[in-house]
Amino acid sequence: MRKLPYVLPVLLALLVAGCGKQESDLPINNRLGGEFTLTDHNGEPFTQAQLKGKVSILFFGYTHCPDICPAVLARVAQVYRQLDEAGEAERLQPVFITFDPERDTAEHLKEYLPWFKANVIGLTGSLDEIRQVAKQYGVVFIKDQQEQDYLFTHSDYIYLLDDQGRVRKLYPADFTIDEVVADAKTLL
Amino acid sequence: MPKRCFKSMLGIGGLLGSLVFAMPARAELVFSDAWLRAVPPVSPTMAGYVSLENDSDKDLMITGVRTDIAGHTMLHAMTTAEDGTRQMTHLHHLTIPARGKASLSPGEKHLMLMKLKRVPSFGESVDICFQLAGDTEACTPFTVKRPSQFDG
Repeated sequence: MRKLPYVLPVLLALLVAGCGKQESDLPINNRLGGEFTLTDHNGEPFTQAQLKGKVSILFFGYTHCPDICPAVLARVAQVYRQLDEAGEAERLQPVFITFDPERDTAEHLKEYLPWFKANVIGLTGSLDEIRQVAKQYGVVFIKDQQEQDYLFTHSDYIYLLDDQGRVRKLYPADFTIDEVVADAKTLL
Repeated sequence: MPKRCFKSMLGIGGLLGSLVFAMPARAELVFSDAWLRAVPPVSPTMAGYVSLENDSDKDLMITGVRTDIAGHTMLHAMTTAEDGTRQMTHLHHLTIPARGKASLSPGEKHLMLMKLKRVPSFGESVDICFQLAGDTEACTPFTVKRPSQFDG
């Protein structure tokens, strides 16, 4: 009985921990990501620190891309809507980083992105700034001049970031919506 | 009959119009599941997809594509490199073997509509014509699908 005063707080702490949110099993990827400063679709500076406190779905692309990029945006929008219907989208932040700053100005991103109805933040910047962020995320993009226009050869991974801005999982462009929703829920 | 008048009748005729346009202009090239990916109204490009079937005993070669809503339309191939990067390249020709099939689908070969003059909205049909070797054309309507219809 003399040990009871010591045991009780421990039991109480364990009980509280058990009732709380379970820690995500998703590993922390320390090799990708990090601090960056770009320009958002309102023309304001945007730093990676502004994503802290939210779970982010971050991906790269460009609006002149007709096939993969709008498909990824549409799929991310479905993730957002599923979480919104579950009342959990408030802390989810989709982020689209263009690697075509020449055509994807802040003004253009501001017109283009709201159509997807997923509260997407569009980020642009100087080519050097974008190259640096792309490098941090292991993204490759190469400008391909075609006959009448230019396109990009690019990698198309999607990154799930936790509320500390750390990369927790990568997905291919044709990711399963339910998988991303389930993973995001473990971080929200 | 003037083209404009014919199109007006299609708009009014609905079902009849769909049936007329569903018929391939050239019987040996059969189209199915032709659709365009919906994009924002300010989008400069759109992608199109379709299944093609050659119902003849000789190979058919597509040499070009055109539509009134785009300043430039191309066939594109998509390749994936070992490092996971994807590259789109202009496909100058697409041959569909005799009695064979070809598919233009997301993430693979597809149509790219560039320099859009206007962006069609959900449910709208857009006629797209495939130019074939031998100076003939085969046209079919492509329907604009909502994102939830192709990314569910």
